[in-house]
Amino acid sequence: MGALKLLRPWVFPAVLLAALETYTRTVGASSDALAPPSAALQAFWKAAADGSLWQATGFTLGSAALGLLIGAAGGLLLGIAFGLSPRAARMSFLSVELLRPVPSVALIPLAMLVFGFGLALEVSVVAFATFWPMLVLSQAAARQVEPRLLEVAMALGLSPTARVCKIIVPAMVPRLFVALRLGVAIALVVAVTVEIAANPNGMGYAIMIAQQSLEPALMLAWLFWIGVVGVAVNALALWLQTAVARRMGVVV
Amino acid sequence: MSLLRFDGVAIHLGGREILSPTSFEVGRGEFVCIIGPSGCGKTTLLRAAAGFVTPSAGAALRHGEPITGPSREVAFVFQDYGRALLPWRTVEGNISLALEAAGVPAAERPARIAEVLKTVGLAAHAHKFPVQLSGGMQQRVQIARCLAQQPELMMMDEPFGALDAMTREGLQDELARLVRDSGLTVLFVTHDLEEAIYLGDRVIALRANPTPEQPSLAAMIDVPIPRPREQLSTKEHPDFLRLRRELYQFLGHP
Repeated sequence: MGALKLLRPWVFPAVLLAALETYTRTVGASSDALAPPSAALQAFWKAAADGSLWQATGFTLGSAALGLLIGAAGGLLLGIAFGLSPRAARMSFLSVELLRPVPSVALIPLAMLVFGFGLALEVSVVAFATFWPMLVLSQAAARQVEPRLLEVAMALGLSPTARVCKIIVPAMVPRLFVALRLGVAIALVVAVTVEIAANPNGMGYAIMIAQQSLEPALMLAWLFWIGVVGVAVNALALWLQTAVARRMGVVV
Repeated sequence: MSLLRFDGVAIHLGGREILSPTSFEVGRGEFVCIIGPSGCGKTTLLRAAAGFVTPSAGAALRHGEPITGPSREVAFVFQDYGRALLPWRTVEGNISLALEAAGVPAAERPARIAEVLKTVGLAAHAHKFPVQLSGGMQQRVQIARCLAQQPELMMMDEPFGALDAMTREGLQDELARLVRDSGLTVLFVTHDLEEAIYLGDRVIALRANPTPEQPSLAAMIDVPIPRPREQLSTKEHPDFLRLRRELYQFLGHP
Protein backbone atom coordinates (compact mmCIF):
# COMPACT_ATOMS: atom_id res chain seq x y z
CA MET A 1 0.00 0.00 0.00
CA GLY A 2 2.79 2.42 0.97
CA ALA A 3 4.60 1.95 -2.35
CA LEU A 4 1.36 2.44 -4.25
CA LYS A 5 0.76 5.72 -2.50
CA LEU A 6 4.24 6.93 -3.45
CA LEU A 7 3.59 6.04 -7.09
CA ARG A 8 0.31 7.90 -7.30
CA PRO A 9 1.70 11.37 -8.23
CA TRP A 10 3.64 9.78 -11.11
CA VAL A 11 0.59 8.27 -12.79
CA PHE A 12 -0.41 11.40 -14.70
CA PRO A 13 3.06 12.24 -16.09
CA ALA A 14 3.51 8.58 -17.11
CA VAL A 15 0.19 8.53 -18.93
CA LEU A 16 1.04 11.81 -20.66
CA LEU A 17 4.44 10.52 -21.78
CA ALA A 18 2.92 7.27 -23.04
CA ALA A 19 0.27 9.20 -24.96
CA LEU A 20 2.88 11.47 -26.53
CA GLU A 21 5.04 8.46 -27.42
CA THR A 22 2.08 6.69 -29.07
CA TYR A 23 0.88 9.80 -30.91
CA THR A 24 4.31 10.72 -32.31
CA ARG A 25 4.89 7.14 -33.47
CA THR A 26 1.53 6.83 -35.24
CA VAL A 27 -0.61 9.79 -36.32
CA GLY A 28 2.04 12.50 -35.85
CA ALA A 29 4.98 10.52 -37.14
CA SER A 30 5.81 13.19 -39.71
CA SER A 31 5.52 16.12 -37.24
CA ASP A 32 8.28 18.72 -37.29
CA ALA A 33 7.27 20.03 -33.85
CA LEU A 34 6.93 16.92 -31.74
CA ALA A 35 9.14 13.92 -31.22
CA PRO A 36 8.67 10.73 -29.21
CA PRO A 37 9.92 11.09 -25.61
CA SER A 38 12.19 8.11 -26.20
CA ALA A 39 13.92 10.00 -29.03
CA ALA A 40 14.17 13.08 -26.83
CA LEU A 41 15.81 10.95 -24.15
CA GLN A 42 18.33 9.66 -26.69
CA ALA A 43 19.10 13.22 -27.80
CA PHE A 44 19.51 14.16 -24.15
CA TRP A 45 22.07 11.40 -23.53
CA LYS A 46 23.94 12.42 -26.62
CA ALA A 47 24.12 16.05 -25.53
CA ALA A 48 25.20 14.95 -22.06
CA ALA A 49 27.86 12.65 -23.49
CA ASP A 50 29.42 15.19 -25.86
CA GLY A 51 29.52 17.83 -23.15
CA SER A 52 27.35 20.44 -24.87
CA LEU A 53 24.67 19.97 -22.19
CA TRP A 54 27.01 20.86 -19.34
CA GLN A 55 28.70 23.71 -21.15
CA ALA A 56 25.37 25.40 -21.93
CA THR A 57 23.94 24.69 -18.46
CA GLY A 58 27.06 26.11 -16.85
CA PHE A 59 26.88 29.27 -18.92
CA THR A 60 23.20 29.92 -18.19
CA LEU A 61 23.46 29.15 -14.48
CA GLY A 62 26.69 31.10 -14.16
CA SER A 63 25.37 34.25 -15.79
CA ALA A 64 22.04 33.97 -13.94
CA ALA A 65 23.90 33.63 -10.63
CA LEU A 66 26.30 36.49 -11.37
CA GLY A 67 23.47 38.76 -12.52
CA LEU A 68 21.42 37.85 -9.47
CA LEU A 69 24.37 38.53 -7.20
CA ILE A 70 24.91 42.00 -8.66
CA GLY A 71 21.22 42.88 -8.87
CA ALA A 72 20.41 41.54 -5.40
CA ALA A 73 23.39 43.17 -3.71
CA GLY A 74 22.58 46.53 -5.27
CA GLY A 75 18.88 46.18 -4.47
CA LEU A 76 19.64 45.15 -0.90
CA LEU A 77 21.99 48.06 -0.19
CA LEU A 78 19.70 50.68 -1.69
CA GLY A 79 16.66 48.99 -0.10
CA ILE A 80 18.22 49.26 3.36
CA ALA A 81 19.12 52.89 2.73
CA PHE A 82 15.61 53.76 1.50
CA GLY A 83 13.99 51.71 4.24
CA LEU A 84 15.90 53.50 6.99
CA SER A 85 15.85 57.01 5.56
CA PRO A 86 12.39 58.30 4.65
CA ARG A 87 14.06 61.27 2.96
CA ALA A 88 16.07 59.02 0.60
CA ALA A 89 12.91 57.02 -0.10
CA ARG A 90 10.97 60.17 -1.00
CA MET A 91 13.78 61.43 -3.23
CA SER A 92 14.06 58.17 -5.14
CA PHE A 93 10.36 57.34 -5.33
CA LEU A 94 9.74 58.82 -8.78
CA SER A 95 12.84 57.31 -10.38
CA VAL A 96 12.05 53.89 -8.96
CA GLU A 97 8.42 53.96 -10.07
CA LEU A 98 9.41 55.07 -13.58
CA LEU A 99 12.21 52.54 -14.07
CA ARG A 100 10.77 49.54 -12.26
CA PRO A 101 7.96 48.72 -14.73
CA VAL A 102 10.34 48.69 -17.75
CA PRO A 103 10.29 45.06 -18.93
CA SER A 104 13.84 43.81 -18.48
CA VAL A 105 13.93 42.09 -21.88
CA ALA A 106 13.24 45.44 -23.54
CA LEU A 107 16.73 46.31 -22.38
CA ILE A 108 18.33 43.62 -24.54
CA PRO A 109 18.90 45.87 -27.60
CA LEU A 110 20.53 48.57 -25.49
CA ALA A 111 22.62 46.05 -23.54
CA MET A 112 23.71 44.50 -26.86
CA LEU A 113 24.97 47.85 -28.10
CA VAL A 114 26.81 48.52 -24.87
CA PHE A 115 28.25 45.09 -24.11
CA GLY A 116 28.10 43.15 -27.39
CA PHE A 117 27.28 39.44 -27.30
CA GLY A 118 28.44 37.35 -24.37
CA LEU A 119 28.44 37.12 -20.63
CA ALA A 120 28.22 40.86 -19.85
CA LEU A 121 25.06 41.25 -21.96
CA GLU A 122 23.25 38.51 -20.13
CA VAL A 123 24.52 39.43 -16.66
CA SER A 124 23.49 43.05 -17.07
CA VAL A 125 19.90 42.21 -18.10
CA VAL A 126 19.55 39.66 -15.28
CA ALA A 127 20.95 42.18 -12.80
CA PHE A 128 18.45 44.80 -13.96
CA ALA A 129 15.55 42.35 -13.72
CA THR A 130 16.43 41.14 -10.20
CA PHE A 131 17.41 44.55 -8.85
CA TRP A 132 13.86 45.93 -8.63
CA PRO A 133 12.06 43.21 -6.68
CA MET A 134 15.05 43.05 -4.34
CA LEU A 135 14.97 46.83 -3.85
CA VAL A 136 11.23 46.99 -3.17
CA LEU A 137 11.15 43.94 -0.89
CA SER A 138 14.25 44.85 1.11
CA GLN A 139 13.01 48.40 1.52
CA ALA A 140 9.79 47.04 3.02
CA ALA A 141 11.77 44.58 5.15
CA ALA A 142 14.03 47.32 6.52
CA ARG A 143 11.03 49.44 7.37
CA GLN A 144 9.44 46.57 9.29
CA VAL A 145 12.36 45.83 11.60
CA GLU A 146 11.06 45.73 15.17
CA PRO A 147 11.49 49.31 16.48
CA ARG A 148 12.28 47.96 19.96
CA LEU A 149 15.43 46.32 18.57
CA LEU A 150 16.59 49.68 17.23
CA GLU A 151 16.11 51.15 20.72
CA VAL A 152 18.09 48.25 22.17
CA ALA A 153 20.85 49.07 19.70
CA MET A 154 20.75 52.70 20.81
CA ALA A 155 20.79 51.83 24.50
CA LEU A 156 23.75 49.49 24.01
CA GLY A 157 25.58 52.17 22.03
CA LEU A 158 26.08 50.11 18.84
CA SER A 159 27.86 51.97 16.03
CA PRO A 160 25.81 52.69 12.88
CA THR A 161 27.66 49.97 10.94
CA ALA A 162 27.15 47.42 13.70
CA ARG A 163 23.50 48.44 13.87
CA VAL A 164 23.03 47.55 10.19
CA CYS A 165 25.12 44.34 10.29
CA LYS A 166 24.04 42.98 13.66
CA ILE A 167 20.44 44.16 14.01
CA ILE A 168 18.85 45.35 10.78
CA VAL A 169 20.09 42.81 8.24
CA PRO A 170 19.56 39.73 10.46
CA ALA A 171 16.09 41.00 11.36
CA MET A 172 15.34 41.28 7.63
CA VAL A 173 16.51 37.77 6.76
CA PRO A 174 13.12 35.97 6.77
CA ARG A 175 11.69 38.56 4.36
CA LEU A 176 14.88 38.65 2.31
CA PHE A 177 14.51 34.96 1.58
CA VAL A 178 11.16 35.59 -0.04
CA ALA A 179 12.92 38.16 -2.23
CA LEU A 180 15.81 35.80 -2.93
CA ARG A 181 13.55 32.95 -4.07
CA LEU A 182 11.64 35.34 -6.29
CA GLY A 183 14.96 36.65 -7.63
CA VAL A 184 16.24 33.13 -8.38
CA ALA A 185 13.16 32.37 -10.46
CA ILE A 186 13.37 35.69 -12.31
CA ALA A 187 17.11 35.32 -12.93
CA LEU A 188 16.70 31.93 -14.60
CA VAL A 189 13.76 33.03 -16.75
CA VAL A 190 15.51 36.20 -17.89
CA ALA A 191 18.82 34.42 -18.58
CA VAL A 192 17.13 31.87 -20.83
CA THR A 193 15.08 34.60 -22.50
CA VAL A 194 18.19 36.66 -23.30
CA GLU A 195 19.76 33.55 -24.84
CA ILE A 196 16.68 32.81 -26.93
CA ALA A 197 16.38 36.42 -28.10
CA ALA A 198 19.96 37.46 -28.60
CA ASN A 199 22.89 35.87 -26.87
CA PRO A 200 24.47 32.96 -28.79
CA ASN A 201 25.29 31.01 -25.65
CA GLY A 202 23.70 28.79 -23.02
CA MET A 203 20.58 26.66 -22.80
CA GLY A 204 18.23 29.18 -24.45
CA TYR A 205 20.48 29.38 -27.49
CA ALA A 206 20.78 25.58 -27.61
CA ILE A 207 17.01 25.13 -27.67
CA MET A 208 16.78 27.73 -30.47
CA ILE A 209 19.43 25.93 -32.54
CA ALA A 210 17.64 22.61 -32.07
CA GLN A 211 14.41 24.20 -33.26
CA GLN A 212 15.98 25.92 -36.27
CA SER A 213 17.81 22.79 -37.39
CA LEU A 214 14.52 20.87 -37.22
CA GLU A 215 15.52 18.53 -34.44
CA PRO A 216 12.35 18.38 -32.32
CA ALA A 217 13.77 15.52 -30.24
CA LEU A 218 16.74 17.63 -29.15
CA MET A 219 14.50 20.65 -28.61
CA LEU A 220 12.23 18.64 -26.32
CA ALA A 221 15.29 17.29 -24.53
CA TRP A 222 16.44 20.85 -23.79
CA LEU A 223 12.96 21.87 -22.71
CA PHE A 224 12.87 18.96 -20.29
CA TRP A 225 16.36 19.76 -18.99
CA ILE A 226 15.62 23.47 -18.46
CA GLY A 227 12.61 22.36 -16.40
CA VAL A 228 14.79 20.04 -14.33
CA VAL A 229 17.34 22.80 -13.75
CA GLY A 230 14.55 25.17 -12.67
CA VAL A 231 13.21 22.68 -10.15
CA ALA A 232 16.70 21.95 -8.84
CA VAL A 233 17.60 25.63 -8.41
CA ASN A 234 14.35 26.32 -6.58
CA ALA A 235 14.93 23.31 -4.32
CA LEU A 236 18.43 24.56 -3.57
CA ALA A 237 17.10 28.01 -2.59
CA LEU A 238 14.49 26.37 -0.36
CA TRP A 239 17.12 24.18 1.29
CA LEU A 240 19.32 27.22 1.90
CA GLN A 241 16.39 29.07 3.45
CA THR A 242 15.63 26.18 5.81
CA ALA A 243 19.27 25.77 6.78
CA VAL A 244 19.70 29.48 7.57
CA ALA A 245 16.40 29.62 9.45
CA ARG A 246 17.50 26.72 11.63
CA ARG A 247 20.81 28.39 12.37
CA MET A 248 18.94 31.56 13.36
CA GLY A 249 16.81 29.74 15.89
CA VAL A 250 13.59 29.52 13.90
CA VAL A 251 11.80 26.25 14.54
CA VAL A 252 10.90 24.98 11.07
CA MET B 1 26.48 65.40 43.66
CA SER B 2 23.46 63.34 42.70
CA LEU B 3 23.77 60.83 39.90
CA LEU B 4 20.55 61.85 38.20
CA ARG B 5 18.68 65.11 38.55
CA PHE B 6 15.42 66.34 37.02
CA ASP B 7 15.08 70.10 37.21
CA GLY B 8 11.54 71.14 36.31
CA VAL B 9 11.41 68.62 33.46
CA ALA B 10 8.21 68.81 31.41
CA ILE B 11 7.46 66.65 28.41
CA HIS B 12 4.93 67.32 25.68
CA LEU B 13 4.20 64.69 23.07
CA GLY B 14 1.89 65.39 20.16
CA GLY B 15 0.74 68.68 21.71
CA ARG B 16 -0.31 67.04 24.99
CA GLU B 17 1.44 67.60 28.28
CA ILE B 18 2.51 64.12 29.36
CA LEU B 19 4.64 65.25 32.28
CA SER B 20 4.21 68.62 34.01
CA PRO B 21 7.37 70.26 35.45
CA THR B 22 8.90 67.65 37.73
CA SER B 23 11.99 67.85 39.90
CA PHE B 24 13.75 65.10 41.83
CA GLU B 25 17.18 63.68 42.44
CA VAL B 26 18.53 60.15 42.52
CA GLY B 27 21.70 59.44 44.48
CA ARG B 28 24.28 56.79 43.72
CA GLY B 29 23.21 53.32 44.83
CA GLU B 30 19.59 54.31 45.33
CA PHE B 31 16.68 52.13 44.22
CA VAL B 32 13.87 54.48 43.19
CA CYS B 33 10.48 53.20 42.09
CA ILE B 34 8.06 55.23 40.00
CA ILE B 35 4.40 54.35 40.18
CA GLY B 36 1.24 55.77 38.75
CA PRO B 37 -1.83 54.86 36.71
CA SER B 38 -1.48 54.18 32.99
CA GLY B 39 -0.96 57.33 30.97
CA CYS B 40 0.65 59.25 33.82
CA GLY B 41 3.96 59.58 31.98
CA LYS B 42 6.04 57.23 34.10
CA THR B 43 7.51 55.42 31.10
CA THR B 44 8.09 58.78 29.36
CA LEU B 45 9.93 60.02 32.44
CA LEU B 46 12.12 56.92 32.37
CA ARG B 47 12.79 57.33 28.65
CA ALA B 48 13.81 60.95 29.23
CA ALA B 49 16.19 59.84 31.96
CA ALA B 50 17.68 57.31 29.53
CA GLY B 51 18.04 59.88 26.74
CA PHE B 52 15.39 58.47 24.38
CA VAL B 53 13.15 61.51 24.83
CA THR B 54 14.22 65.15 25.03
CA PRO B 55 12.41 67.27 27.65
CA SER B 56 10.24 70.08 26.29
CA ALA B 57 11.21 72.25 29.25
CA GLY B 58 13.56 72.04 32.22
CA ALA B 59 16.78 70.05 32.41
CA ALA B 60 17.48 66.35 32.83
CA LEU B 61 21.02 66.00 34.16
CA ARG B 62 23.34 63.08 34.79
CA HIS B 63 26.44 63.93 36.83
CA GLY B 64 25.35 67.53 36.37
CA GLU B 65 25.57 67.29 32.57
CA PRO B 66 22.47 67.54 30.34
CA ILE B 67 21.36 64.16 28.98
CA THR B 68 21.63 64.40 25.19
CA GLY B 69 21.08 60.79 24.16
CA PRO B 70 21.42 57.15 25.21
CA SER B 71 24.66 56.23 26.92
CA ARG B 72 26.41 52.96 27.62
CA GLU B 73 26.47 54.02 31.27
CA VAL B 74 22.69 53.72 31.34
CA ALA B 75 21.12 50.32 30.73
CA PHE B 76 17.46 49.95 29.82
CA VAL B 77 15.33 46.88 30.59
CA PHE B 78 12.21 46.93 28.43
CA GLN B 79 8.93 45.42 29.50
CA ASP B 80 8.44 43.43 26.30
CA TYR B 81 11.41 41.08 26.65
CA GLY B 82 10.07 39.07 23.69
CA ARG B 83 10.74 41.97 21.36
CA ALA B 84 13.87 43.33 23.02
CA LEU B 85 15.91 40.14 22.54
CA LEU B 86 17.39 39.20 19.18
CA PRO B 87 15.48 36.03 18.28
CA TRP B 88 18.28 34.86 15.97
CA ARG B 89 20.92 34.91 18.70
CA THR B 90 21.27 32.44 21.54
CA VAL B 91 21.25 33.56 25.17
CA GLU B 92 25.01 34.05 25.16
CA GLY B 93 24.84 35.71 21.74
CA ASN B 94 22.32 38.23 23.06
CA ILE B 95 24.56 39.06 26.00
CA SER B 96 27.57 39.19 23.73
CA LEU B 97 25.86 42.02 21.80
CA ALA B 98 26.36 44.38 24.75
CA LEU B 99 30.05 43.44 24.92
CA GLU B 100 30.49 43.82 21.16
CA ALA B 101 28.92 47.27 21.34
CA ALA B 102 31.30 48.25 24.13
CA GLY B 103 34.29 47.01 22.12
CA VAL B 104 35.24 44.24 24.54
CA PRO B 105 37.84 41.99 22.80
CA ALA B 106 36.43 38.64 21.64
CA ALA B 107 38.80 36.75 23.91
CA GLU B 108 37.39 38.36 27.04
CA ARG B 109 33.73 37.91 26.15
CA PRO B 110 33.12 34.26 27.15
CA ALA B 111 34.28 34.85 30.73
CA ARG B 112 32.16 37.98 31.12
CA ILE B 113 29.14 36.24 29.59
CA ALA B 114 29.54 33.27 31.93
CA GLU B 115 29.79 35.64 34.88
CA VAL B 116 26.53 37.52 34.21
CA LEU B 117 24.74 34.30 33.29
CA LYS B 118 25.73 32.91 36.67
CA THR B 119 24.47 36.07 38.36
CA VAL B 120 21.00 35.66 36.84
CA GLY B 121 20.98 31.87 37.20
CA LEU B 122 20.97 31.02 33.50
CA ALA B 123 24.35 29.28 33.24
CA ALA B 124 22.71 26.08 32.00
CA HIS B 125 20.83 27.83 29.19
CA ALA B 126 23.64 29.69 27.41
CA HIS B 127 23.10 27.94 24.08
CA LYS B 128 19.32 28.18 23.91
CA PHE B 129 17.43 30.61 21.72
CA PRO B 130 14.99 33.06 23.38
CA VAL B 131 11.92 31.22 22.03
CA GLN B 132 13.03 28.13 23.92
CA LEU B 133 12.84 29.98 27.26
CA SER B 134 9.94 30.95 29.53
CA GLY B 135 8.99 34.62 29.91
CA GLY B 136 10.76 34.93 33.24
CA MET B 137 13.93 33.45 31.81
CA GLN B 138 13.78 35.75 28.78
CA GLN B 139 13.52 38.74 31.08
CA ARG B 140 16.55 37.46 33.01
CA VAL B 141 18.47 37.34 29.72
CA GLN B 142 17.61 40.98 29.14
CA ILE B 143 18.72 41.88 32.66
CA ALA B 144 21.93 39.91 32.11
CA ARG B 145 22.56 41.82 28.89
CA CYS B 146 22.16 45.09 30.79
CA LEU B 147 24.54 43.89 33.53
CA ALA B 148 27.11 42.92 30.89
CA GLN B 149 27.01 46.54 29.76
CA GLN B 150 28.39 47.39 33.26
CA PRO B 151 26.22 50.48 33.64
CA GLU B 152 26.09 52.80 36.63
CA LEU B 153 22.37 53.29 36.21
CA MET B 154 19.73 50.73 35.28
CA MET B 155 16.34 51.82 33.96
CA MET B 156 13.61 49.23 34.27
CA ASP B 157 10.26 49.78 32.56
CA GLU B 158 7.69 47.49 34.21
CA PRO B 159 10.12 44.60 33.77
CA PHE B 160 7.97 42.06 35.60
CA GLY B 161 4.57 43.38 34.48
CA ALA B 162 3.93 40.58 32.00
CA LEU B 163 4.97 37.74 34.30
CA ASP B 164 2.86 35.55 36.59
CA ALA B 165 2.86 36.30 40.33
CA MET B 166 5.18 33.46 41.36
CA THR B 167 7.82 34.28 38.75
CA ARG B 168 7.50 37.97 39.54
CA GLU B 169 8.17 37.51 43.26
CA GLY B 170 11.17 35.30 42.52
CA LEU B 171 12.63 37.87 40.16
CA GLN B 172 11.97 40.72 42.60
CA ASP B 173 14.09 38.98 45.22
CA GLU B 174 16.82 38.17 42.70
CA LEU B 175 16.88 41.76 41.49
CA ALA B 176 17.08 43.14 45.04
CA ARG B 177 19.97 40.79 45.77
CA LEU B 178 21.98 41.60 42.67
CA VAL B 179 21.43 45.33 43.04
CA ARG B 180 22.64 45.12 46.65
CA ASP B 181 25.70 43.10 45.57
CA SER B 182 26.61 45.33 42.65
CA GLY B 183 25.78 48.75 44.08
CA LEU B 184 23.80 49.63 40.93
CA THR B 185 21.49 52.63 40.91
CA VAL B 186 18.02 51.68 39.69
CA LEU B 187 15.03 53.60 38.40
CA PHE B 188 12.16 51.14 38.35
CA VAL B 189 8.75 51.87 36.79
CA THR B 190 5.78 49.79 37.87
CA HIS B 191 2.04 50.13 38.29
CA ASP B 192 2.09 47.71 41.20
CA LEU B 193 2.09 49.53 44.56
CA GLU B 194 3.34 46.57 46.56
CA GLU B 195 6.18 45.92 44.11
CA ALA B 196 7.25 49.57 44.36
CA ILE B 197 7.33 49.56 48.18
CA TYR B 198 8.90 46.10 48.36
CA LEU B 199 11.79 47.01 46.03
CA GLY B 200 12.34 50.73 46.50
CA ASP B 201 14.35 52.87 48.86
CA ARG B 202 12.05 55.62 47.70
CA VAL B 203 8.80 55.72 45.77
CA ILE B 204 7.78 58.50 43.41
CA ALA B 205 4.07 58.58 42.66
CA LEU B 206 2.86 60.28 39.50
CA ARG B 207 -0.68 61.27 38.62
CA ALA B 208 -2.32 61.30 35.22
CA ASN B 209 -3.73 64.45 33.57
CA PRO B 210 -1.66 66.98 35.50
CA THR B 211 -2.91 70.55 36.06
CA PRO B 212 -1.06 73.56 37.51
CA GLU B 213 -2.71 72.86 40.89
CA GLN B 214 -2.12 69.14 40.70
CA PRO B 215 1.29 68.53 39.06
CA SER B 216 2.53 65.17 37.77
CA LEU B 217 4.57 64.54 40.89
CA ALA B 218 1.93 63.46 43.39
CA ALA B 219 4.11 62.17 46.19
CA MET B 220 7.67 61.20 47.05
CA ILE B 221 7.95 58.77 49.93
CA ASP B 222 10.94 57.13 51.60
CA VAL B 223 10.68 53.44 52.40
CA PRO B 224 12.36 52.91 55.77
CA ILE B 225 11.93 49.12 55.77
CA PRO B 226 15.30 47.41 56.40
CA ARG B 227 16.97 45.07 53.89
CA PRO B 228 17.20 42.26 53.04
CA ARG B 229 13.47 42.15 52.61
CA GLU B 230 11.42 39.03 52.46
CA GLN B 231 8.18 38.37 50.61
CA LEU B 232 6.08 37.39 53.64
CA SER B 233 7.45 39.31 56.62
CA THR B 234 8.20 42.54 54.73
CA LYS B 235 4.68 42.66 53.36
CA GLU B 236 3.34 42.30 56.90
CA HIS B 237 5.67 45.01 58.25
CA PRO B 238 3.71 47.93 59.78
CA ASP B 239 5.63 50.43 57.67
CA PHE B 240 4.78 48.49 54.54
CA LEU B 241 1.08 48.54 55.37
CA ARG B 242 1.19 52.23 56.26
CA LEU B 243 2.94 53.18 53.00
CA ARG B 244 0.62 51.01 51.02
CA ARG B 245 -2.37 52.80 52.48
CA GLU B 246 -0.78 56.23 52.00
CA LEU B 247 0.13 55.64 48.36
CA TYR B 248 -3.16 53.99 47.65
CA GLN B 249 -4.93 57.15 48.75
CA PHE B 250 -2.66 59.23 46.54
CA LEU B 251 -3.36 57.12 43.51
CA GLY B 252 -6.81 55.74 44.12
CA HIS B 253 -8.39 58.99 45.30
CA PRO B 254 -6.64 61.90 43.66
